[in-house]
Parts: sequence; C-alpha cells; structure tokens
Amino acid sequence: MDSRRLLTILLAGALAWSLFSVDWDRDLVHPGGFGSLADILAALFSLDLSPSFLKVALSASWTTVAYATAGLTLACAIGLPLGIVASGSLGRGIPARLAGMAAVRLMLALLRSVHELVWAWLLIVAIGLSPMAAVLALAIPYAGILGRIYAEVLNDVPEAPLRALRASGASEVGVLLYGRLPMALPDMLSYTFYRFECAIRSAAIFSFVGVRGLGYELQISLDDLLFEQVWTLLFFLVALVVLVDLWSSSVRRSLTS
Amino acid sequence: MASSNDSAPAIRASEVGKVYGRKEALSRVSFTIHEGETVAVVGPSGAGKTTLLHLLAGIIRPDSGDINLGGRALAGLTPGGELSRLVGVIHQQLDLVPQLSVLQNVLAGRLGRWGLARSALSLAWPHERETAEKALDRVGLADKLYERTSRLSGGEQQRVAIARLLLQDPQVILADEPVAALDPARAADLMGLLAEIAGHSGKTLVSSLHSIDLVRKHFSRLIGLRNGGQLFDLPSADVTGDMMDRLYDLRGIEGVETFQGRDYG
Repeated sequence: MDSRRLLTILLAGALAWSLFSVDWDRDLVHPGGFGSLADILAALFSLDLSPSFLKVALSASWTTVAYATAGLTLACAIGLPLGIVASGSLGRGIPARLAGMAAVRLMLALLRSVHELVWAWLLIVAIGLSPMAAVLALAIPYAGILGRIYAEVLNDVPEAPLRALRASGASEVGVLLYGRLPMALPDMLSYTFYRFECAIRSAAIFSFVGVRGLGYELQISLDDLLFEQVWTLLFFLVALVVLVDLWSSSVRRSLTS
Repeated sequence: MASSNDSAPAIRASEVGKVYGRKEALSRVSFTIHEGETVAVVGPSGAGKTTLLHLLAGIIRPDSGDINLGGRALAGLTPGGELSRLVGVIHQQLDLVPQLSVLQNVLAGRLGRWGLARSALSLAWPHERETAEKALDRVGLADKLYERTSRLSGGEQQRVAIARLLLQDPQVILADEPVAALDPARAADLMGLLAEIAGHSGKTLVSSLHSIDLVRKHFSRLIGLRNGGQLFDLPSADVTGDMMDRLYDLRGIEGVETFQGRDYG
C-alpha cells in the first residue's frame, strides 16, 4: 500500500473518531439557539422600514461609503507608483533599479500581509480613535494589494506594441505612458472597482474598533436583539455592493466600446 | 545600379552574419544601399529576410561583420532618439496600442524627439496635432483622427502605422512583410502608398515581401536571399523569371522537410 492511501485512511479515521467526541445533544447548538434562529428568520419578513430608522441606515451607509472611498483613493495614490516601480516598467537593466524593484516588492508584501483590522488597532493606539486612523488602516493593506496587482497587469500587456514604441524612439517612461498604461488600464480599473466593493465591506466591519458606519449600527441593533433592524442594515450593505457593481460595469462598457 | 550619389550611402552592410544556435540565419551578406533607393528583399520563408531587417534596424546585433547607417557604425548609435531618426520599422503584425486613439498612436512617432513632460502632457492636450492630421490625410484616414484604434480594420491600422512613421520621419524605412496580413487588393494599395511616400520624400525603402508583382512594380532593386546567403543583388529589370524560380525552388533548401524551429523569415 502506498503512503498516500495510508494517509487518506488515517485522516478519514481521525475524522470519524472526532465525530464520536461531539455531544450531539448539548454541545452543538446552545439551548434556545433554534428559537433565536426562528426569530431571526421571522424578522426577515418584518423589516424595520420606519422613516426614522431608514434615516439612520442611510446616514450609516453614507459614512461607510465615505470611509471606503477615502481609503481606496489613498490606496490607489500609493499603490499605483509602487506598482509601476515593482513591475520593472521603468527599465530593469541597472542593478540599482533591480534592487529598487525588489525593495518595493518586499514593501508591498509587508503592507498587505497585515489585515486592515489589525492596522486599525495599531493606528488607533498610535493616533487615537479618529477618522484618519480608519482611512489609513484601510489604505495601507489595500495599497499593498493594488500595487501588486497593478504590477502584474502592467507586465502582462502584449510586447509587440511596446517594441514598436521603442523602435520609434520612445524612452521606457514613454513606453509606459503610451503603451503599458493604456493597455493595462481596463484590467486595472476593473480590479480597482472590485477592491472598492471589498473596501465597503471592510469599512463596515471597522465598528469593532469603534468607527461609526453600517457595522456600528449593526452592532447596536444586534445587542438589542432588534433583528428587524439588522436585516434592514444588511440589505443596505448589499445595495451598496450592487450599486458599485453596476457603476463598474458601466465604466468598463464605456472603455471597451 | 545606384543612381550617381556622392553622399555617404544610406546603408552599408559588409560581411554581416548572424547565428541562432547551430543554424546560420545569415552568412556574409554585403551590400550598399544609397539614399532614395527602393530595395526589396526576396526569398523563401526561413531565408533570413526578417533577420536581415532586424539587424539593419538595430533590433538585434550581428555576430560578425559591420553595418553602417548614413556613414556611422550602427553599433555606436544610441537606441531611442538617435537611432529612431535614422531608421523606422513597419512590421507585418499590427503593433499599435489598441486602447489609444488613432491620433495618439500617430503622435507616438514623435516620442523620440519629445521630452518626458511634453510626452505626458500630450496625452491630455495633443501636441503637434496638425502634423498628425496631415500624416493621416496622406494615408487616407483623416476622418478617423479620434477613433479608438481597436475599431479600425487591419488595413487601416497598417495605414496608421505608416502615419506614425511619417511623424517619426526616419531617413530609412524598413518594412518587414508589411502587407502579408492583407488581401491582395489592399496589399497592392498599401505597398503603393508606402512606395509613394518613400519616393515623394526621397527616403530609402527596404522591404521584404513575397508578391513578385508588387516587387517589380514598386522596387528598383532586388536582393535575393536563400538559406541565409545572398543569391543575387540586381536591378529589378535584370532579374529573370528563371532566377526567381531558382530562388524559391524547394529542393536544396536546408531542412525544408524537417524544419520545425522558429521561423526566422
């Protein structure tokens, strides 16, 4: 018997054994858990749509979108130049440039390897609970992610037009401006829009470190077991993501047609 | 064969050779091309035509021999600005940037002369727009100025490439099978345009192509390549049908049955 099959059997056995150690009657769902689940589902059909609460939800959505927009804008402003350097588009002949490229790649990896919530904790400790801390906490890891993707997209464009630009006398910066960037732009834009959706989700979660927005209201409603309000807030979150998606596809259409 | 021309020759190649692995793509090719000459490089696939044109354009470097452009050694010319004023290249494949407007693709021909700031600003506020308009008018695309390049047909895109070359304004135009991707009528049209532009501005034109009719119509001189060697170099009137037959004869072409490697054209 080969070792791979042996491993499969061992793992399957471990799984089966672990199932026996669960106390199916008591441990799995806490008493009354099914009752709350029913309450939660029932609330789905009696959403809180009172004008006063809609106002709260709308204002919270606006705050969340504002954090996401500010964070992502800053992330683009940092990520684009870093991505260009990391892609090696500015020429990679000289050892100094190659070293710079490696350094920027390492920096991008450091930025994005820490989650935005952790950045938020660190920044709130460092600069206090302010909107700036939330925006920076979002911008730092997102700059790392965007920079890395931008670098990849810039490297993936077809070579022939770039060679033609060089042959007509363009410098590497000229090739970047007239070749790489225009060819990479549709992909870069569509990925940035996708990241905008993610930024909205992340901004909503920032309530855990005390930042206002959709997540903050969600937490208050959950604490009071007001599931009608919870569902309303969740639908606002879904609506935001759908709106961003519609916006993104309309921009992409205008770029490709 | 050249006209009486006392200035430095536009191109002088002496004993030029290029080796890829074990295959000799080009061996001991020598010729002198004077300013304003129109020269066709003919020969079967794999004869070394593309290799020769890439060597003349400075895209690749020869393994042996020397190339002079306008009396200066090609090896000593800095790529970019200096070289781009001497030679411009048109390829068989479309190598424009599809996302840019026709205007910006044409203006890219000026990048060798423009500084960084001007190149960047011109993307928003096109610089030398009138020059580009004139060039597009010459290739018959004046109405496509602001069109996205990806929307143009293959033949139209090749015309945009010629307009870009007009803005680059090199002394020598090198064309690597510029009409291979076009149907015969459009090929004839485009070759006529290229020859007319070269003739009108007294530029030297060196092009590889397969159509014998087009060669005889537009070129004053033929260089025949076969297996990387020079079979003949004659005024086109002196090239006989028999010579062309021998040039394209499949028998005796190195590895014609087994050749599966890259096409060195």
